[in-house]
Amino acid sequence: MNAAPAIMDFPDSLSPMVVKELRQGLRTRLFGGVLLTLHLMLVLLTLMSGGAENAAVVSGWFDGIITLVLCIIMPLRGFSAVADELKSGTLDMLALTRLSAGRIIFGKWAAIASQSLLLMLSILPYVVARFVFGGLDLFAEVMALFYKWLAGVVLAAVIVALSTQRQFWLRAVIVFLPLLIGGCGAASFMMMSRMGGGMPPGTLLSFFIKSGGGGSALLVLGIAAWAVFYFLSLAATRIAPTASLLSVVKRSVNLVAMLTLMLVGWLSGSSAAMGSTAVGVLSFLMMDALTERVNEVPSVYAAFYQRGWPGRAALWLLAPGWVTGLVYSALLVALVSVYVGWTSSVEGAKLVAVRAAGTWMIAALVQLFSTRRSSDLLMPFIVFWLLVNVLIALLGNLVLMSFVTKHTTARFTCALPQLLPTGYATAQAADKAELLDLGMLSASIWPALLLIFAVFAWRQARGARQEGWQMIHGHEGGVAI
Amino acid sequence: MDRSQPAVVVEDIHRSFGSLKAVDGVSFSIDHGRVVGFVGANGAGKTTTMRIMATLDSPGSGRVCIGGHNVVHHPAKVRRLLGWMPDSFGTYEHMTVLEYLDFYARALGFKGADRLRRIQEVMDFTDLTPLADRMSNKMSKGQTQRLCLGRALLHDPQILILDEPAAGLDPKARVELKNLIRILAQEGKTILISSHILSELGEMCDSLLFIDKGRIVHHGDAESMVRGTETADETLVHVQIAGEPVRLIEWALTAPMIKIEEETKRGARLRIQSVDEATLAGVLRRMIQDGLPVLDYHREERRLEDAFIDMLGQIDKNTFKAPPPGGVLPKNTEDAK
Repeated sequence: MNAAPAIMDFPDSLSPMVVKELRQGLRTRLFGGVLLTLHLMLVLLTLMSGGAENAAVVSGWFDGIITLVLCIIMPLRGFSAVADELKSGTLDMLALTRLSAGRIIFGKWAAIASQSLLLMLSILPYVVARFVFGGLDLFAEVMALFYKWLAGVVLAAVIVALSTQRQFWLRAVIVFLPLLIGGCGAASFMMMSRMGGGMPPGTLLSFFIKSGGGGSALLVLGIAAWAVFYFLSLAATRIAPTASLLSVVKRSVNLVAMLTLMLVGWLSGSSAAMGSTAVGVLSFLMMDALTERVNEVPSVYAAFYQRGWPGRAALWLLAPGWVTGLVYSALLVALVSVYVGWTSSVEGAKLVAVRAAGTWMIAALVQLFSTRRSSDLLMPFIVFWLLVNVLIALLGNLVLMSFVTKHTTARFTCALPQLLPTGYATAQAADKAELLDLGMLSASIWPALLLIFAVFAWRQARGARQEGWQMIHGHEGGVAI
Repeated sequence: MDRSQPAVVVEDIHRSFGSLKAVDGVSFSIDHGRVVGFVGANGAGKTTTMRIMATLDSPGSGRVCIGGHNVVHHPAKVRRLLGWMPDSFGTYEHMTVLEYLDFYARALGFKGADRLRRIQEVMDFTDLTPLADRMSNKMSKGQTQRLCLGRALLHDPQILILDEPAAGLDPKARVELKNLIRILAQEGKTILISSHILSELGEMCDSLLFIDKGRIVHHGDAESMVRGTETADETLVHVQIAGEPVRLIEWALTAPMIKIEEETKRGARLRIQSVDEATLAGVLRRMIQDGLPVLDYHREERRLEDAFIDMLGQIDKNTFKAPPPGGVLPKNTEDAK
């Protein structure tokens, strides 16, 4: 036998996936090119920042370049992270190792986050130099740099999650369209705040500004960690073997996180801010729960039956598949509605339910048009969501404007859950209650339709549940639920 | 691993993709230490069956046990026993051969010196040591295929599933692969190997599984396959004579039990209505006694490919009546009868 090979560049304690991704990632031309270009530009800008007359311009360029690198270029490195593995068939080989789907996805993301961190740390000397020569607030600059990195790693998690989609064009649309919309939104938000508009009241940002200090930083970190977990677990579900029980972990974590968010809002007296955040987060959690394939692997159900009646109860909420996802989403909607109703108003609670019906509507459309062709429910969901919302934003709101200018109530908005909140906000005071009740009635069609689909899908998986039951109780143990 | 049970048991598995039935009631079993070839046309259901066995897909119904463990219920236990080599050689950019094996060794749970020792063993076995620093995506097909085999062997699995490992390889690389598989077989590993090159499988494998339209149509050794589809009471012989072949043709026209199958440049292919070796020798003796200057006289061996194609034709006509093959009789072979 030849001498043992020397390869000790990374310790054993590091996840194999992180080691692999770092070995590959640090060798790419993109990383080297970005690192070199970034430093060249920062050296130039630091040299230019001596004069007080151009300090604002230099500062703008400095921020812009760092934001571009940390929040756009580095996250976009995850664009093909999983798709490439799917196409080359290497994901199958990874699945046969001890790496779980979660560890594979985490490794992909962690490597991008680490490289991003490396870039961020390499920027620090320039910040110190600007502090020494330009008199900047060092702490504020370092914190700003950290938040840019944090935003970048959250965005990287989103992009890694979307990279589980094989088709390039679909992935490109889904990544770049929200990026464009988000970019425009961020730009207009910055313009608004510079023009003196300030932060819109009742938003999470207004809460951060109001609370300031360590508390808000902790909350930012908590929400960022939750967002990363959410997107990575979403991606892991899409590549996990059918027999996996990922839904148990992610639904439990998401439920606890949602409850924590509401508790923080209640304790800190920022219920409105946390309520609106919970409503926003709710759509994402519902999307995740409603786009899982119905599981037909007996051992998955056996894992629940094994735990007696608590297991059987948990099965309805946590078992993989969109049918239990419907029950889970109903629980979340009920929780958020009660919270908003309790801390704000009953109308607010009703609007939460209407918004949720909008998400159930998309899920029902997916069930109607997609499932026969493909087992992937997430991408059709996103496509339907984009289509419905873009169409409504373009057409619905245009029509709505004519009603607003005439000072009349746009009653047609009760037909679509996505339009109703705007219709309600612009309705005449006397019509508001009636419009909302009508809207709720009309919106209830969608969860009802989804429930019908769910009954059929649940019946289809009956054999698997029965077999799972028999795995635990034998043939004499009665029947599965 | 429980050696009292077969290494692989596949029982009546079905798998459909939409309306397409990729696997339609496949059943077979493989004993420990056997090398089994898996043969079928593209789309016959080989890869789907192998993927189910490798825990990468789930059967719609039926049961697959590897080393006594159900692939659906205990995939982690199955994966520890199994080495899988897919038909596409998955390598990575910006990663050397050594780093590639190091990554998979880490992913399989090897640590420290133990990992390095195992990588070196695998590199020695697959002759990859001289290529340790070569980028894994910049090697020849043969080298890449050895690398993928090395990856599949890292955790020293007792059962190997190799999906079209010889596809696209040059003759030298094929010989190297054959040698490696022979060594693995000698070590007592159970190997299921799919290929289009039937003659090579015939040499390497203890038995062959033939699959068509998602159903197993034959399970036995190569000889039984050839015999199974051979017409039982006739033998084809090649005869060459010195001089004009017309003398042979004239002789054959008058000889009993002999038909001319085809005239050739220096003789003919004759169909003798017997498989008895003494009768065949008697025909040659008569030729010589009748003054024919025979240069060559030999039985035509049927190729495995021909036997397979014949068998598929017979199945299409629903006339397949193969004798029970060696090994375990698949359930749907009985159906085919």
